Amino acid sequence: MHDNGHNPYKPMPMHVVRAYYESNDRSLKTLELVFDRKADQIEFFEKFNPGQFCQLSIFGKGEAPFGVASAAWEGDFVRFTIQKLGSFTQYAHTLQAGDPIGMRGPLGNGFPLEAWKGKTLVIIGGGCAFSTLYALTKHVHHPQNRPDYDQLIVVYGARTSGLCMYKHDIQSWHQRDDMQIHQAIDVPEEDWSHHVGYVPDVVKEVAPSPKNAVAIVCGPPIMTKFTLPVLVELGFSPESIFTSLEKRMKCGIGKCGRCNIGSKYICKDGPVFSLKELQELPDDI
Amino acid sequence: MMYILEKKKVEQVLSAWNKAFDVYAPQKVENYTQFLPFEKTKTVALNHAHNTRYPPKALFFPQSEIMLKYNSRLGRFEESGSKTKPMLIFGVRPCDAMAFSLMDTVFLSEDYVDPYWKAKREDSIVIGFGCSTPPQTCFCTTVGGAPFSHTGLDAILTDLDKAFSVQVLTNKAENLFKNLPPATEDQINEVKKIQRKATESMAPAFQTSGLKQKLDLIFESPYWETIAESCLGCGICTYLCPTCFCFDIVDEIQRKERIRNWDTCMFRIYSQEASGHNPRPSNKERTRQRLMHKYSYWLDHIGEIGCTGCGRCVCYCPVGLDIRAMLQTASEYESEVARA
Ligand SMILES: Cc1cc2nc3c(=O)[nH]c(=O)nc-3n(C[C@H](O)[C@H](O)[C@H](O)COP(=O)(O)OP(=O)(O)OC[C@H]3O[C@@H](n4cnc5c(N)ncnc54)[C@H](O)[C@@H]3O)c2cc1C
Ligand code: SF4
Ligand code: SF4
Ligand code: FES
Repeated sequence: MHDNGHNPYKPMPMHVVRAYYESNDRSLKTLELVFDRKADQIEFFEKFNPGQFCQLSIFGKGEAPFGVASAAWEGDFVRFTIQKLGSFTQYAHTLQAGDPIGMRGPLGNGFPLEAWKGKTLVIIGGGCAFSTLYALTKHVHHPQNRPDYDQLIVVYGARTSGLCMYKHDIQSWHQRDDMQIHQAIDVPEEDWSHHVGYVPDVVKEVAPSPKNAVAIVCGPPIMTKFTLPVLVELGFSPESIFTSLEKRMKCGIGKCGRCNIGSKYICKDGPVFSLKELQELPDDI
Repeated sequence: MMYILEKKKVEQVLSAWNKAFDVYAPQKVENYTQFLPFEKTKTVALNHAHNTRYPPKALFFPQSEIMLKYNSRLGRFEESGSKTKPMLIFGVRPCDAMAFSLMDTVFLSEDYVDPYWKAKREDSIVIGFGCSTPPQTCFCTTVGGAPFSHTGLDAILTDLDKAFSVQVLTNKAENLFKNLPPATEDQINEVKKIQRKATESMAPAFQTSGLKQKLDLIFESPYWETIAESCLGCGICTYLCPTCFCFDIVDEIQRKERIRNWDTCMFRIYSQEASGHNPRPSNKERTRQRLMHKYSYWLDHIGEIGCTGCGRCVCYCPVGLDIRAMLQTASEYESEVARA
């Protein structure tokens, strides 16, 4: 339970500590936020789990949900990568270090890390939805967490190399011996030494084994749609495939009804679901 | 304990309560009744068989409510809402009181408590007004209620012509009525008779056994196309519904307020998504959502139907769509498919 002074609609006061563009076309901007109040920070990190999201709040612009793109061990900040779309995100892109902003969270269930212990993680992402998968990978990288999992395989696709997020860090993953990283872009570019092609095809090529493994897929709907059958073909069961849903949301805490699908509220019961759980929901997605 | 409250004394009694409570009672507004502060008119309209048009859920969950006030775009803010006195709502129909209890399961759920609902609801007192002659549009008995049901009530009135009998149901209410004369043996028997007659007058409106399973089964069937054909998508059925709790959150820039407004799944924009994709693009999917939520998803959540049979959606739908008929057709629909 997170009630921030008994009012879960009240944003915590935060400040931007770092703000930088993530892509060369300036459509993606990362904001790292720190807490104005120590008590909020302690409460946040007691609850935070990769795969969760927060409602960022700017008075006059409203609120919008964003997945957390950092692991707790990285520091006392919370990272978000924001794609510029409409009125909220355009304003968020003008924020600089030192600017105040509000935040509610962490919200949602996050990844079922306990249930995944001992398993191989096949992490598949594309576009800005890779943000929470980045948080997941960072979480697993920590020396205290790494022994909890078997192999770590990451497939990450972006349309162009300029749109690849977290570049410098991901570059260093290629040198790690405790994971595999397969990066892809849609069309060939000079100096690109990794895969070229769409994520579902790269997954087919990499062909991760379903043995004692779970696959986590987050990306644009079209990517997810075509990746799921590939995984099924490789032998992954619906119970071992996970994805995160990006529904329209308002309250984020299961009250306003907006994100309701069947018996679930995506904000509260999700956003992370196994394919099996999704198959059991009515076709209202 | 049962007391007798003479009708001519009602306004006097409410005036006395008004010192300690914010008293609300049904009052005549044009051709309808509506719950309004008793303070303003000092009148009470308990002579209508029909329920109020505007649902009393608005007293705990206003149609538009300030959540936070802020000074500058990013800067400081304060919480809104400082209530002074607890609310006393007089003359609530049992279906609407049951709706309060259903809404409690959403707004007071264990994981997150809604502070706005809680502040108003917590120490409120709800005095019910049982239905001696339920109108033809009501169907509480079909969905687990009754015209004299006690759920969500602190006391319940029965109309005895010149007086009301008051059955006290909680300790909170005992204090309010203990100075009234107790009912006589004859009066108690009369009350029992009225209540029994009222309940017996209500025939089942549609088949509820197995209804949830049937609705789940026919989710993808053409059934929904036919029933939603004439729906205008006006949303009246949801705004006036005492159990509909959806809300939108918006910032009012001029007033520097973050507010919430009742929302409705009957509008296209409600489910419109970024990509242009809309999982509920027509009235067919939206009507399905409204009915499925009340008659299937509520059951998944708390094991109860999310409709109290108040009949508002039946009375006020501009094209006369009747939820009872829709559900009856649904319960028969599967058997037709099975036969085919
Ligand atoms: C659980 C969750 C996690 C998310 N994580 C991220 C993230 O890490 N990074 C990121 O950039 N975005 C993320 N989003 C999407 C983000 O919330 C929307 O892009 C944002 O609300 C758009 O706000 P806006 O005011 O700028 O756009 P609006 O002015 O509201 O709309 C601009 C465009 O975006 C569309 N849009 C509005 N709301 C949403 C929404 N909730 N989801 C998708 N499209 C929407 C509109 O239909 C329109 O086409 C996430 C959404 C959810 C539900
Ligand atoms: S669905 Fe209709 S009858 Fe049922 S509670 Fe709502 S308004 Fe009343
Ligand atoms: S009141 Fe009638 S017309 Fe209006 S949305 Fe409801 S069912 Fe449709
Ligand atoms: S966003 Fe309000 S219920 Fe999920």
